[in-house]
Amino acid sequence: MASNTPEIPWWLSKVLEVMWQNFVQYVPIILSALSNTLILAFFSFGLATVLGIVMAFAEVFTSKTILIIVSWVARVLRGVPLILSIFLVFYGLPKLGLTLPPLYAAILGIAIVDAGYQEQIFRGAIKAVSNRQLEAAYSLGLTRASAFLYVVLPQAFRIALPSWINDFTIVLKDTSIAYAIGVVEMFTQAIHVAQVIMDYMWPLVFVALIYLAICYPLSMLSNYLHGKLKMMGMLGSGV
Amino acid sequence: MLKEELLIVEDLWKFIDGKPVLKGITFDVSRGETKVILGPSGAGKSTLLRCINLLVVPDRGRIIFDGEDVLKRRDIHNVRSKMGFVFQHFNLFSHMTALENVMLGLVKVKKMPKHEAEKKAKEALMAVGIAEELWNRYPAQLSGGQQQRVAIARALAMEPKLILFDEPTSALDPELIWEVLNVMERLAKAKMTMIVVTHEIGFAMRVASEVMFLDDGMILERGPPEQVILNPCNERVKRFMDRMKYVYSLDTG
Repeated sequence: MASNTPEIPWWLSKVLEVMWQNFVQYVPIILSALSNTLILAFFSFGLATVLGIVMAFAEVFTSKTILIIVSWVARVLRGVPLILSIFLVFYGLPKLGLTLPPLYAAILGIAIVDAGYQEQIFRGAIKAVSNRQLEAAYSLGLTRASAFLYVVLPQAFRIALPSWINDFTIVLKDTSIAYAIGVVEMFTQAIHVAQVIMDYMWPLVFVALIYLAICYPLSMLSNYLHGKLKMMGMLGSGV
Repeated sequence: MLKEELLIVEDLWKFIDGKPVLKGITFDVSRGETKVILGPSGAGKSTLLRCINLLVVPDRGRIIFDGEDVLKRRDIHNVRSKMGFVFQHFNLFSHMTALENVMLGLVKVKKMPKHEAEKKAKEALMAVGIAEELWNRYPAQLSGGQQQRVAIARALAMEPKLILFDEPTSALDPELIWEVLNVMERLAKAKMTMIVVTHEIGFAMRVASEVMFLDDGMILERGPPEQVILNPCNERVKRFMDRMKYVYSLDTG
């Protein structure tokens, strides 16, 4: 071994090559489970968005008592480990007479925890709309309801957008935990393939790249929107 | 026959955190008058303006606007729609273009059809010298002076009986102050009724029908600008004006 460049030894590159050739035929199988990953992500994220917005509105627009209760509920939801939530729905709810198939159980389990985070995103966004904007709306003679409808909420949704998109990328990756209750999504399928070809390296790197390919453009979009909001002066001091 | 006084403020008190910020303010404003309120920071000038359109609710006293006791009304938004308010920091709606900013009140409060509101908004923007190429810009794309003029147009388009100005030029670059004061001076000449809180004593000298000096929640002195600004009787007012004259090089000595 006289070479001074850190070359991969010939035998290792041979091994990697054989492993890749073994793996590559299973790529379509892994990709076929992408649809389940996307179903899990879209439905749990959608459900969490609805729950999050309902909780945020309840906190901002109703009584102080409800604010305290809802913010505690959200805090508890955020504190639940995701796998615990999914197990609770899948293995726990049947005790109460509600048996859900794995896919539905995973959607519900992810949504419950994510709702706690989305409550934070939307409540924070409503609070972030400057009080000056509200005063300007009142000074024109708008009622409280119209001031919120035409001035505060349109700005709050714009402010929430970057964090909301980021949250989707987190949920997308979290769907892999559905593996634990046997949902055949992309990660599960990669593990199955790995067990067949007795190589975890290629299948895992491959699914990691798929997750990255979806999340990276979304985080770029989130950054772009954040910059745009800043430019529009909507991320001010919150005075 | 309309009564001459558009606004009567009687014995107005406001406490914030238990401390009195306004201590029994009494004054009235006639139709077509420009009232200028001067005074140091923290004197209660902004609070007084905010009390008049009830952005801040006073603790005691009476406010009679256009013959009606404002504090007794439950539909305060209807009263506010007849009073314009121009803020120190412009407070334009940042998600709307200049034109949409002016249209919002017309469409949502005055329930005007969209095309009519648009026509009226454009007239108001022209009146404050905002040219057509700026109508579809967002506030962040306008200079401070332009933003404040759009804000004045937004108030003006509602055809208010009174416009309240809360330090409209304090957040502006010196060069841009002129364009805003110029619009306000034209409004005053057109007999718009205005109450202006400002530090611009030059503007007060030219435009004010009466100047009130506010400090520590009380009116220390009031009268024509020549008296309050150039020859105040009160010692505190005299000290303030001497410094203002130095700052604005308005030495008459």
